[in-house]
Parts: sequence; structure tokens; C-alpha cells
Amino acid sequence: MARVNDPELTKARLHLVVEEMYDRIVKGEPPTMTLPVRTKNNIGFDKKLGVYKYGKKRSTRDATSLGSAKNLLRALHVVEFIEEMIEAGKSSTLREMYYISESWGLGKFGSQNESNNLAEDLEVVTTCLREDFKLRPEEDGARMIGDVTIEELNRRGQWMTINARDDVGDSGYGVPYNVEAEKIRLKEHDVNFLMAIETGGMFDRLVENGFDEEYKCGLIHLKGQSARSTRRIMKRMNEEWDLPVIVFLDGDPWSFRIFASIAYGAIKTAHISEYLATPSASYLGITADDILAYDLPSDELSKKDIEALNAELSDPRFADGWWQEQINMMLEIGKKAEQQSLAKYGLDFVTDTYLPEKLGEMGLA
Amino acid sequence: MVIRVAGIADKMAKNQKQIAISEFFEKNKHFLGFDSLQRSIITAVKEAVDNSLDACEEARILPDIKVKITKIDSKKDILELQTEDNGPGIPQKSIEKVFGQLLFGSRFHAIRQSRGQQGIGITGVVMYSQLTTGKPTHVLSKVANDPTAVSVNIGLDTRKNKAVKSEQTRIIWENDDLTMKEHGLRVTTRMKAKYQRGRQSVFQYLRMTSIVNPHAEITFTDPDGETYHWPRVTERLPSKVDAIKPHPHGIELGQLQRMCRESSDSRMTVFLRQNFSGVSMRAAKELCEAAELEITMKPKSLKPDDVRALLEAFQGEREVNGKAIKLLSPPTNCLSPIEEMLIKKGLSKTIDSKFVATMTRAPTVSHGNPFQVEVGLIFGEGMVADKHVEVLRFANRVPLMYQQGGCLLTKAIESVDWRQYGLEQAGGKGVPKGPAAILVHLASTNVQFTSEAKEALSDNEFVFEETRRAMLEMGRGLRKHLEKKKKMAKTREKFELINDILPAIAEKSASILERPIPDLAGSITKIMSAVICNESTTWNKETKQVDVSITLFNYTSRARSYSLLVNWPEKSGGEMVGNERGGRKEAMGIWGWKIETLEPGEKAVVEYSLSNLEKGDWTETEVFFRGSQDVIGATKLDEKMLVEIRKQEEILNQSDVPSGDNGETSENNEDGVAYEPGVVEGDSGQTTLFGGEN
Repeated sequence: MARVNDPELTKARLHLVVEEMYDRIVKGEPPTMTLPVRTKNNIGFDKKLGVYKYGKKRSTRDATSLGSAKNLLRALHVVEFIEEMIEAGKSSTLREMYYISESWGLGKFGSQNESNNLAEDLEVVTTCLREDFKLRPEEDGARMIGDVTIEELNRRGQWMTINARDDVGDSGYGVPYNVEAEKIRLKEHDVNFLMAIETGGMFDRLVENGFDEEYKCGLIHLKGQSARSTRRIMKRMNEEWDLPVIVFLDGDPWSFRIFASIAYGAIKTAHISEYLATPSASYLGITADDILAYDLPSDELSKKDIEALNAELSDPRFADGWWQEQINMMLEIGKKAEQQSLAKYGLDFVTDTYLPEKLGEMGLA
Repeated sequence: MVIRVAGIADKMAKNQKQIAISEFFEKNKHFLGFDSLQRSIITAVKEAVDNSLDACEEARILPDIKVKITKIDSKKDILELQTEDNGPGIPQKSIEKVFGQLLFGSRFHAIRQSRGQQGIGITGVVMYSQLTTGKPTHVLSKVANDPTAVSVNIGLDTRKNKAVKSEQTRIIWENDDLTMKEHGLRVTTRMKAKYQRGRQSVFQYLRMTSIVNPHAEITFTDPDGETYHWPRVTERLPSKVDAIKPHPHGIELGQLQRMCRESSDSRMTVFLRQNFSGVSMRAAKELCEAAELEITMKPKSLKPDDVRALLEAFQGEREVNGKAIKLLSPPTNCLSPIEEMLIKKGLSKTIDSKFVATMTRAPTVSHGNPFQVEVGLIFGEGMVADKHVEVLRFANRVPLMYQQGGCLLTKAIESVDWRQYGLEQAGGKGVPKGPAAILVHLASTNVQFTSEAKEALSDNEFVFEETRRAMLEMGRGLRKHLEKKKKMAKTREKFELINDILPAIAEKSASILERPIPDLAGSITKIMSAVICNESTTWNKETKQVDVSITLFNYTSRARSYSLLVNWPEKSGGEMVGNERGGRKEAMGIWGWKIETLEPGEKAVVEYSLSNLEKGDWTETEVFFRGSQDVIGATKLDEKMLVEIRKQEEILNQSDVPSGDNGETSENNEDGVAYEPGVVEGDSGQTTLFGGEN
């Protein structure tokens, strides 16, 4: 799947969803909406694409209970709303759509989560992207620092050339929500790899220590679970410039999931994994090994952490031997550690010792 | 341990001669109810209000009671209590006796249910007032025949231990609206006491009193000047209670020996029939046969072994033809139950809630003492959900406010696993938690307490079992209610789906596709795929009737036919009016209609009203059906239930004796219908008509 970028085709695909409901009523049956099951039980590895995609399991949402009937009605309202935006040449954020639904009477959303989920449902069913639907995410993209030059189309329709090292302040270049070719062009770079970093504190530490220049790399701040555009721009730089992507996160079960969504595809967005995931990305740390090897200050795993680790053991994305070993080791030692726990050995330890050692193992330093 | 009040009276009379009143009071204040400043005011209110209720009941007057507490001196904890009633008043010459004597009235020796089994009565209040403030108690009393009221101060001469009157005059007693007070009593007294709020308070005592005395109007003004009002919810006075003869099951050897010795009867059968309750002619003969006594013997001539043999026959240890002698139950007109509907009203009055179940068990006997258990359960959203349910205990209409944990009635509540009935209960033990209150009332001629404090009932397996059974029945009712509520919520959801959401889906999808709006009938049938019954029971303010409407929808793809049946308060005197569909009586309190065949998508409506009821008498109608396909919102009729109801009705008609439920006991008594005890078989396994086993 990729961007349709054709309003008529988008509308036609949305109409198929509406027709399914309409035709069922005409036949004297409860209206339905059929879509792939969006859980870890229905994702599988696509050998051709090298990422995890939804499998063949489909679920039917039918109007025999009040909850799912309301969901169908909401879907219709959303379809109508998208058509209106396409015709008027407008776009809205998901949050705006949530508020606009206030006037949809019985079809209004109960929470923003519902509206986000429904937008994803429609993407999955129509194989369109939310950009086709004129819907923008609320979350802002990542920050980026390093000797990377891009061109971005600004509001006045002019292409601006920006070097993410020389033309930006300490907070770096802000990645916009749309990073497709019509908005962003990758011009040139002088880096050897990209490093994605989970926390703002660590990102700032590497910037302050001049790590990007010393090791010739592009630093990207993920801001926790990364936005689609963050993953997309990493994927583009990886493909178009052939840059390795190194992922540096906290050492806990949630970080493992962030890595999985970057490298293999997220469960919620498995319909567009080939478009967002970077299968060659590698996990640098913090690993369970690191906690022991560097004797890092650590916290006990909480009940939820343990549940999450156990769930990961049966997640197909973590099926390979290295991950199984890491997850089991974390369960065994019962500890987790933050990136910034490296400061135990001083502010420069991460840039002088830890990262060079780890990158060395990977053949990058 | 059981301490009989009469025993205390004797003790007190003796003590009186030897020690000063103050000393006596000090020694016995824990069971006189004056052991703490907080409790003293409650006890004082209790004595005064109990007296008023008893007096009104005896004089067949609907009580109107006003209680007012004023702070006189907060530093010294002096309160003034004023209670006023519209009772018969006390004649001038009796005032001294009532307020100043430590002797008890004759009621304590008779076998009958009465309130005043606790404390030493109003005299205790006069004493306490005198001892703590040095002031006399003021009494204003008017009887109907006198033109004026007597106003007098009653004090106690602590040296002579005797009541003294002072400042006695006769005055004109006017009501607030300047009309003449016809009759009544007003008592004003000051005492050292502390007013408090909460579970053990004057407020709670009056609230509880009002629940079990729905015929009383009670007004209370607290020390802050706040006035609370509990209105009268029925015009019906409690039935008059009569003293009864002892029952053979409750007699002890000594008592039987004395009765024989003192008897002048000419033959055993006469003796047995005239001195005991529950002994028929046949039973009298059989008792003699079992005890191997000639029926012609004179009771006086019985030897000790004969008496013992007779006692054994009484107690079923001697049999005739291998069977214990069947005795009739003791008459129950010595008991005055509140009755289901009135408990319901009483509870609904003080607690705002949705569901009230009440049950008056048939009167039964423990060791020859007639007793009757009544329970009520109120459940609803408006009540606190995460605390223990409120337990409201009563003995002979008197609230029990202390020692909840040690009381038999509490133990009976705790013995039920309430979890299966929808209340929380840790480990299935203890008082349950949830938005509910449980009421238990024991009416008995001989209430047995754990101690002189008379706040907790002592263990008695019969009373326990009766109470427990009544609780289980309540519980089943509650569970049914909750299940029904859940089902109704589901049904409401389905109706919202087909009435609102589905049409919106059809309309919206049609407009997006620019096609005509499709017909929904087929989808609706598939979505509902059920026959649904909707019932509404509402009070009609204008007609003063309960309007009932039942709608049956056929949302299946086939034609269906049913009979619908409902329960209605026939036994409580309700009348069915405006029932245009006709139908027929299926059993006592059960009406049925044959519904013509309903095609898919069709509905049928049954409507009628119930008259001769008061608001709150009938709030929920249970709908039953006969038919093959299940009906959501109605219960499949259990034909055995109908048979059971018809059987009970037959017994009722034959004996012309109330079975003890639904309040017919008192009605019959008031009408002057001669009482004949019904047959009690063991511990009469009472089955209720709805909410029975399932």
C-alpha cells in the first residue's frame, strides 16, 4: 500500500465501505463492516517486504449490539466528513475531527481514541492513507541534528534548503507531519549513519558533547513511541541514502516495542509497515547485557513490565534468538535501566566510552 | 442469660427500701439506659415516645408525636426535652402513679407483645432529671372528658424515695393555632445529657421508630432548631393485641404442677382446653391418651409422675399411634406484625430507593411463645455503595440501637451468603456491603435479650431459622430485581439500536451513495431476533390509581402466539379497572390474557389500572408468559406456581384464617371476626408466590 493521492479513487474506496452497509440493509440483514483483525495474533512476516503485515484474519463488525452499531454510524459520518474536506480542499487534525463529531448526534465519538482508531480502521479497509483522507495527526514529528541537507516546501510554496547542523538551533530541525516527496526532498549528507534516541535528555547530551560531528552521524529524537512521519523519514533516508539506522533506547520492555515498530512495523499500523518500517535498523542498547556489563543503576521490573515482557515472548516480531535471549535475561535479572543511568560514570561516559564500544561491536566506529 | 423485667421490678422494689435512689440509679444505670450522657437523652426520648405510642394504640388514636430538644447550658451539658402527643392523656389522679412510681404495670405479667419491655419507663426519666438537675418534670395532661388540662410538676423526694407533686393547677391547653387541645400529654424535663448525631442518636431512634410505626406522625426539632418530619403513611392502626393462655410447648414442669394444683376443673379435657392455647378437643383426648391419664380425672388429683407424663406428651416425647400429638399454633392475635406493605411504606418513607422487598413470615412458636419475623430489604442507587448495609433491628416495634454484633438478628443476616444475591460480602460472611438497608423485626410475647441492657436478642434456633429463611427469600427477590434491571438495560439498548441508530445508518449510507433509503424491517428482525415484553407500572396522580401497561413485540421472523399473565395486589384489596382486554383470573393475585397471533414486526398492548391502593403500594408488575419462544422481559410461567397459589387460596378460604401474609390478620381482627388458629405443621414452610425457588 502506498499513498493513493487520487481524490476520486479515495472516494470510490470509501464508498465500498458504505455500500457494504447499505447492501446488507437492502437484503434485510444487519449492516456490517469487515476489516482485518488488528492484534498481534494477526500479524505475520512478509518476506517480500521484509516487514510485519496483517494476516488474513478478518473480523466483521455488525450492528447487532449498540456499541458496534454506533461504530458503523460513526464510520459513515467520518466518510461524509472526508468527502466534504476533499471537495472543499481542506484538511483537519484528528483532534479537530473529534471535536467536529460533537455535532454528529448519535454518531459522535466518546473519546479521541475512538476517532483515531476509526481513522486507522478506514485506512486498513480502503488501503488508503490518512493523508488521502485529509486527516493530520496531532503528534509532532521528531527533532533532527546532523550534517544532513533537505529541501522543504514551506507555506508560501517555496522550497527552502535546510542543513540540520548549520541552519538550526540547539533543538534541531523539526520534522513535519508530511515527509513525502511533494513536501520533503533529500538533498545531500555527510554522515555515516543515523542514530534514533528515545529521550530528550540523552539527545541533548549527545548534541552538547558534539557526538554528531565526532562520529559523523545524524541524531534523531524519537519522543517516545515515534510518530509516523519520524519513522517515514528514517525509512526514506535509509533507502534513498543507504544509511544504517541505529536505535538507542532505554532498557525496558516498552523500549523493545518502540524498536519493533521502527524496524518491523507496529501492530496498529501493520497495514502500512512497508512504508514506515526500516527492517535493517539495529538495536544498540540499553540491552539486558548492558545492565550487567556496565553495572548500571536499575529499577525492579513492575508487574506490568513483566506482563509486557511475557507478551513479547509470544510476539512474532521478537521471535528471533537474540531478542528471546534479551527478553528472558531481563526477566531473569528482574531489572530495567534508563539510558541516562549511564551518567553514573560521568557526563562524558556515554559519548567517550559506551557508544564507541557499542558502535565498535557493530562495525560503525 | 435472660433477665425477666418482672424480676428487676422486684429487685428494685426491695433495693428501694435499703438504699437511696441516687445510689440505686448509679448502680443500675447501665441497664436503665442512663450510663452515658449521650445515651441518656436517647433513653429519655425512647421512654416518652414508647409510652405515647402504646397509649395511642390502646386508645385507638392515630399518634401525632412531637419531640423537641433544646440546649439549656452547653457548658454543663444540660438539655431540655419536650415530648407531646395526641394520646388519651392521663387522668389527674393517675399522673403521680405513672411518673413517680417504680412499680410496673400489669402488662409485664401477661403473655402478650408490648413495647414496654425495656427500661423502667418514664419514671426513670423523672429520676434521672431530678438527680442531675435537681428539677422536677413538668407534665401537662388533658383527657377528652375534662374541659381543662392538668399542669403539674413531678419530682422525687430522694429521702423518702417517693414522688412529690407541686404547683398543680388546671389550665386551658391550646394548640399552636389557638384551637383547644382535645386530649394529649406533654412532658417537659431537663437533664444532664449530650446530644449527638449518627447511628446512635435521637434522630436515628425516631427515624427507626417511624419506619416500624407507619401509622404515626413524628416531628423532631433538634438542638440546632432543625426540624425533621416523618409523615404518617397509613391510617391503619396496629391490630389490638390480646393476652393469651400458655401453649403446651412453652410450659415448664413447675408451672404445670402449679396449674394442676390450682385447677378446679372437673376433668382433664376441660382443664387442657380452657387453660392452654392450641389444644383442640381431639388433641386434649390424645394428650391424655399419650400421658396414660383418664380424661375424666380431676387435674387436682394428678400425681407428680402424672404431671411429668403430661408434660412429656406436651413436648411430643409421648406419642399416640407412633405420632406426636398435633397441636394448633398458639393464637397470633397476641402478635402485632407491621405487615409487608406497611414496612415497605415505612422504609420508602425514610430511604429513597428503587427496590423494596418485604416479607412477613407466618407466626410460629418457639417453646410455646408465639413469634413472628418480618424483614425488609431496600436497595438503590441513592445509597452508599461501599459501606456495610444499614441494619435496622426491632423487637416489638422498638428500635434496637446498640450491640448490633451480638444480636441474633444480625447473626441471621450474617449467615446468608449475600454474594449470590448481588451484594458484596467478604468471604461470604458478615454484614454485607452495598447500597442497601436490611430491616428485621421480631414480634413476640417473650423477647429474650442477651443482657439487662436489652439491646441484643439472645440466640434462639427457631427465630434464627425463621429470620434466615426470610433473608434468603429477600435475597432471591433482590437478585431477580437486579437481573431484571440488567435485562431491561439490554433491552433498552436494543430499542435504541433499532429505533435510533439503525435508521440513522440507513439514512446516512443512502445519502452518501445517493440512493433511496432502504426498508429496515428485515434488519430489525435479524438484530432483535426475539420477542420482547415491556412493562410499566406507574402511579397516576390524577386518578389515584396505578396504571399498568404491557407491550409485547414480536421481532422474530415467524408468527407467535402467547398468553400473558401478571401479578397484582388482589389480596391487599387492590381492584383491577379499565381492563379492556378482559382476560380471566388464573389464581389469587394472578390475571391472564390470551394474546392473538402476532405476525413478525407486530405488537400487542395490555393496559389496566389498579384502584383502591395508595402511592407506593404497587410499583412493579411481574409479567409471565405461556408460549414456546422465550420472551425478553417476562418470565416463563411455572404452572406449579399457579397450583401452589390455588392450594393456598383454598386453605385460606376453608379456614377463613389469614395465613399471616399481606396483612390480613389485623383486618380480620378489626372486623371482629372470631379468631381460630390455623394448623401449624412444624415450622410452617411458607412459600412466597414470586421470587420463590428458581
